[in-house]
Amino acid sequence: MTLAIVDYVILALYFAFVLGIGFLVRRHVSTSEDFLTAGRSVPVWITSLAFIAANLGAQEVIGMCASGAKYGVMTAHFYWIGAVPAMLFVGVFMMPFYYGSRARSVPEYLKLRFDEKTRGLNAITFAIMTLFSSGASMYALAKLFKLVLGWDFNASILLSAAIVLAYTFLGGLTSAIYNEVLQFFLIVMGFAPLAFLAAAKAGGWEGIKAKLPEAYTHTWTHVGTAAQNPMGVEAFGLIMGLGFVLSFGYWCTDFLVVQRAMAANSMSAARRTPLVAAFPKMVMPFIVILPGIAALALMNMNIGYTLPSKDGGLDYDLALTTLMAKFYPTGILGVGLTALMASFMSGMAGNVTAFNTVFTYDIYQGYIRKNASDAHYLMVGRWTTVVGVVLSIGAAYAATLFNNIMDFLQLVFSFVNAPLFATFMLGMFWKRATGNGAFVGLLSGTLAAAATHGLTVAEHKGGWLGTTVNTFPSSMAQNFWIAIVAWTTCFVVTIAVSYMGQSKPVEQLKGLVYGLTPVPHEDVIWYKRPGVLAVIVIVCLAILNVWFW
Amino acid sequence: MDDLRIPIGLFFTILGVILIAVGLTSSARAEFTDVNVNLYSGVCMLVFGGVMLWLSRRSTT
Repeated sequence: MTLAIVDYVILALYFAFVLGIGFLVRRHVSTSEDFLTAGRSVPVWITSLAFIAANLGAQEVIGMCASGAKYGVMTAHFYWIGAVPAMLFVGVFMMPFYYGSRARSVPEYLKLRFDEKTRGLNAITFAIMTLFSSGASMYALAKLFKLVLGWDFNASILLSAAIVLAYTFLGGLTSAIYNEVLQFFLIVMGFAPLAFLAAAKAGGWEGIKAKLPEAYTHTWTHVGTAAQNPMGVEAFGLIMGLGFVLSFGYWCTDFLVVQRAMAANSMSAARRTPLVAAFPKMVMPFIVILPGIAALALMNMNIGYTLPSKDGGLDYDLALTTLMAKFYPTGILGVGLTALMASFMSGMAGNVTAFNTVFTYDIYQGYIRKNASDAHYLMVGRWTTVVGVVLSIGAAYAATLFNNIMDFLQLVFSFVNAPLFATFMLGMFWKRATGNGAFVGLLSGTLAAAATHGLTVAEHKGGWLGTTVNTFPSSMAQNFWIAIVAWTTCFVVTIAVSYMGQSKPVEQLKGLVYGLTPVPHEDVIWYKRPGVLAVIVIVCLAILNVWFW
Repeated sequence: MDDLRIPIGLFFTILGVILIAVGLTSSARAEFTDVNVNLYSGVCMLVFGGVMLWLSRRSTT
């Protein structure tokens, strides 16, 4: 694939605009809260688009297209049951506690609700995870650009990191959020023509259906047993593992996304953020997954399109870029690649700004220097941005040196994340839950996750504890079940340990726990009320699921 | 706060103009399609950019 001058002009234009937005926003940053929490002043249409854009990193875009080619339309489960219900839950039920508690971060909420050690555990693991995931996506992007465009690996890493650093250093969270909105529109406009052209070439949805096995074009028909569908998962694991534990654990507790909603300019806007975001989120599969499914159909048409092979199978990660090469002439090709760059930057800036806030408020202010002036924390926040980006670059190079390090870390992080939602659910809805209960529950949930991985095998992975209790039909099924075990363990242990100790006095839990917090009065027109929005989303979601049943 | 619709509107207006210009002057087509992708995408982006700018003007006046 070769680019012409006009493609580079488009890329340069995009760089100019993201930096320009950074400069524009800079004038409004005068306190640490302006920089790290956007001063709680952002309108809802902006926070809700940033809410999904921060999650829509390059790995997500490339990965979803790849999964579309590998698993077919079942990939949409990652959006329809793996994201939207949890987004409704966080908006309707959880945001009153996050936003109303005046906590500046998710770990800080844990400190207010439970205790210092629970916050410390969450803050430190979260900070390390964000750095590694931004490093991992930088590595993936640079490798892809090298492979498809022949760009220098080092140059791709340094240039993209420098631009993200520049605009987050200038304008902090506001700058990251504003740019995420621009990036969101660019991702949609850069990939939507590809989805349209590829699907049209394959004969539309009916044409695609005719060219693929049944199981690739239905979401629910073939989930009765794992053997029936390409993903190798069964309905219970899918719904409980993906739809409940993993999805609620991510969308309801991950500070990367919750931070966007907490930047909204009112409680009502904060609650509406994930609800409004659910609408574009529901239709994203048509833009990021459909091209992958179409690619599979095109391969079956024998018209000269095929995915490159890798390790004896197909290299699905190249579905997106090989389609671009076949469908995009110079001009729109520049837009498509700029959109890929934009998705990378929105993901990385999301990680960097979340890392910033957690490090400055939860680690630096919490444990290193407690009572400094606000100007001092603003300065720390700014320089943490630089340190965060430098450490992510380090992580990206670590990934090039040690092939398996990222896989290993992702596995460890999945053990840490799996039990989280049990802690938050008990913390928010059960006033008897104690700090010791939460802490011990989290640790035992993580251990249970690791043990499950060690005792089960899927696709030759796991089973390192010697004995194999169960063999899963796919690693995806294994992941879902690890999550279920971790969540259940954390839930049970937290309750048991909580009953052994004294819970916090009721006065200290006001605004933090359901039943002790006044339900926010929604003084807005009916169609802006969270309950109404949630019902509309559920109806649309049901229609989509029935359509692709 | 600044109105984000202005930079977004400007960006897509410029992008739209560039793509329309490429679509009208170049006869290059991608291997799998005879559609003038640049022209049609450019028109969509120009319209989107214009709507963003119009919305922002309307709310300030």
